[in-house]
Amino acid sequence: MHTEPDTRAPRVFPSTRESLVRAFTSGDPGVRRAGFEALVAAYWRPAYAHLRLRWHQEPADAEDGVQEFFTVALAQEFFSAYDPAQARFRTFLRLCLDRFAAKAHRAERRLRRGGGAVHLSLDFAGAEQALEVLAPGQSEEHAFDREWVRSLFDGAIEALELECHADGYEIRFEVFKQYDLVTDGEAVRPTYRAIAERLGIPATQVTNHLAWSRRRLRVLLLERLRELCGSEAEFQDEAVTLFGVDAA
Amino acid sequence: MNKPVLGLVLGGVLGALDGLSALVSAPEVAPGITGIVIGSMGKGLVAGLLIGFVSRKWDSLAVGLIAGTAIAGLFALPIALMNKNAATGQPYFWEIMIPGSMVGLIVGYATQKFGSARSG
Amino acid sequence: MSPISGETLRHLQRVLEEPELEGDRYRLGPLLGRGGMGVVYQATDLALGREVALKVLRPEFAEGAADVRFRREAQILARLEHPGIVAVHDVGMLRDGRRFYVMKLVRGARLDDSSQRRSLPERLRSFLRICETIEFAHVRGVIHRDLKPGNIMIGEFGEVLVLDWGIARVLATQPEEAGAAPATSPAAGDTASGTVLGTPGYMAPEQQSGQIDLVDARSDVFSLGAILRDLAAESDPAPRPLQSIWRKAMNPEAGDRYSSAAALAADVGRFLDAQPVQAHRETWPERAGRFYRTYQTAILLVLAYLTMRLLFLAGRGF
Repeated sequence: MHTEPDTRAPRVFPSTRESLVRAFTSGDPGVRRAGFEALVAAYWRPAYAHLRLRWHQEPADAEDGVQEFFTVALAQEFFSAYDPAQARFRTFLRLCLDRFAAKAHRAERRLRRGGGAVHLSLDFAGAEQALEVLAPGQSEEHAFDREWVRSLFDGAIEALELECHADGYEIRFEVFKQYDLVTDGEAVRPTYRAIAERLGIPATQVTNHLAWSRRRLRVLLLERLRELCGSEAEFQDEAVTLFGVDAA
Repeated sequence: MNKPVLGLVLGGVLGALDGLSALVSAPEVAPGITGIVIGSMGKGLVAGLLIGFVSRKWDSLAVGLIAGTAIAGLFALPIALMNKNAATGQPYFWEIMIPGSMVGLIVGYATQKFGSARSG
Repeated sequence: MSPISGETLRHLQRVLEEPELEGDRYRLGPLLGRGGMGVVYQATDLALGREVALKVLRPEFAEGAADVRFRREAQILARLEHPGIVAVHDVGMLRDGRRFYVMKLVRGARLDDSSQRRSLPERLRSFLRICETIEFAHVRGVIHRDLKPGNIMIGEFGEVLVLDWGIARVLATQPEEAGAAPATSPAAGDTASGTVLGTPGYMAPEQQSGQIDLVDARSDVFSLGAILRDLAAESDPAPRPLQSIWRKAMNPEAGDRYSSAAALAADVGRFLDAQPVQAHRETWPERAGRFYRTYQTAILLVLAYLTMRLLFLAGRGF
C-alpha cells in the first residue's frame, strides 16, 4: 500500500469524449449497445423514482416498468430520434418514459419480453431504500432530476474507487470515504486528525488525499455528464443542475 | 442672480405693483397714486435688499419666510398707521399690513429658493 | 456500494464546487451567488485581515473559451477604476486548475430588490450613477452587454455599482472621437458572430440576433433604457417624458437611440430638474403643468396675496 502522497496531478478538466447520445446513431451495434448500457446506468434510478412518484406505481410494477421501458427503448430505437436542438436529453428521456407509462397504464397490460430483450440486473432494493418522498411543493420532475444527479455521483464514486484500487492508492479512496461519504450528518464528520490516527498517516496527507480525490471525482463526474449530453451548451446547462439541484 | 440683488429687484417690482393695487382697493387715493407707487417701490427696494442679505446670511427657507414677513411688516407699519380712511378716520391698518407683509413673505421665499449663494 | 444519501449528495455538491484554498492567502466563507460562468464566495484575506469576494470559474468550464473570458473579465475590471465598478485586488489559479479573482466585498441590495422602498427621484439619481459608470467604460472601449437590474447593486453606503462584466466586450480600436461612428471591430478572443449573449428583455435587437459586429455602446444604451423603464414603471403611471426617454433609448434602430449613456443621462437629468427633455415634445398643458410644479409655492403665494387683496376689496364693498 502506498503511503507517499501521489505527485501526479490529476487532469483537472474532463477531456472531450464522444457523446453516448450520438452512439445511438452509430452503424456499429457494439457501439450502440455500449452506449445503451452506459445510458441505463445513468438513468435507471431516475426512471424508477419517476414511475414510483409520478405514476404512483408499486415497487414491483415500477421495477418491471424500468426493465420494460429500456427493453422497448432499445428495440424501437427511441433515443436515435433525439435532437439536441430541441431539448435536453434528460427531458427527452423523461417524456419518452411518460409516454411509455401512459400507454402501459391505459392498456393495463405488460409488454412481453421477447427474444433479444434486455434484462438488467439492477439494485432496485437499494433504489427503493434511497428513494426520498417529495417534499411539499416539489415536483415529480425534481425527483427525477435528483435521482439522475445521485446516479451520476454514484457512478463517479464507483469509478474513483476502482481507479484508486487499480493504481494501488486505496488509501486515497479510504480517506475520501471516511470524510466525505459519512452519512450521519456534518455534526459527526470526523476530524482530519481522527482519520489520520485511524489510518496511521500524517494529518497533512489526509488533506492531500482528500483534495486529490475530490479533484478526481469532479473530473469523473463531469466526464460522465459530458457523455450524456448532446452538445456543449447542454453540458454547461446540465452542470448547473448537477451542482445546483437541491438534494433534499 | 444672487440673493440681495434678487431681493432688490423683486422687492421693487412687487412694491410698485402693491402700490398700484391701491387704485383698486382705495380708489379715492387715485390723485396721489404716483407718490404711492414711488413710495411703495422704494420701500420694496430697501426691504427686498435687506431680506436678500438675511437670506444670504442664513440659508434656510424658514428664516427667509419669517424674516421676509417681519421686515416687510416693519416697513409697512408706519404707512399703515399714517394712512387713514378719510370718511371714517380709521387707519387702513390690516389693509396695508397684511398685503405688505405677504409681499415680504414672497420675496423671502423667492430669495431662498431661486437666489444663488454666491454673487453672479 | 449502496446509493449515497441526500445529505451526502448535498455535501459533495458543495465541496466539489468550492475552491480549494487550504494553506492559501484566503479562507473560504459562505457562497454569495452564482453567475454565468463563475461562483462568488465571501472570503477572508488572511494577509490583510479583511473580507473580500472571491469569484472562481465553475467546475464544468474546461480550459479554453470560458477560461479566456474569465481572465478577460478580471482584466477589464482591473483596468476600469471607477467608484461604480468593483475593484479587483488579486487574481490567481487554484490547485485544481481553476482561475479565480478577488475583489472588494460589497454589501447591499440588487436594484430590483431595493427599488420599491425609494422615491422616483431617488431611483432616477441612482440611474444617473449607472449611466455615469457605463459612460466611463464606453470611453475606455468596454461594452458591458449584460446590463439589467440584477447586475446593479446599491451598496450599504448608497453607492451604485455595476456588476458582472463577464460578457463585456473590449473594442479593439481607440475610444471613438466625438461625432465619429462607434468602433465595431472586435478584440482578439471575442465572441463569434451568431452567438447570443445577454439577458432577454434587456438585450438590444442586434445582440439578440447574434450580430456581434453591430454591438456597440448603443446596445448598452438600449439596456439602460430597459432599466429606466423598470425603475420608472414602479410609479404608476410613469411620467410621459420618462416614457419618451426610455422609448428613445430602446429604439430598435441603433441610430435612433441616444448616441451615448451620457446623452441618455443628460435627458434624465433634465427631467429631474423639471426642464423640458429632448426626447419628449411637450403639449401646452404639459408645459403649463411643469411650470406650475416648478414654481408651485411661488404661484400659490402670489395667489394668496391677490386673494387677500380681493377679500379686502370685497369687504370694503359691504
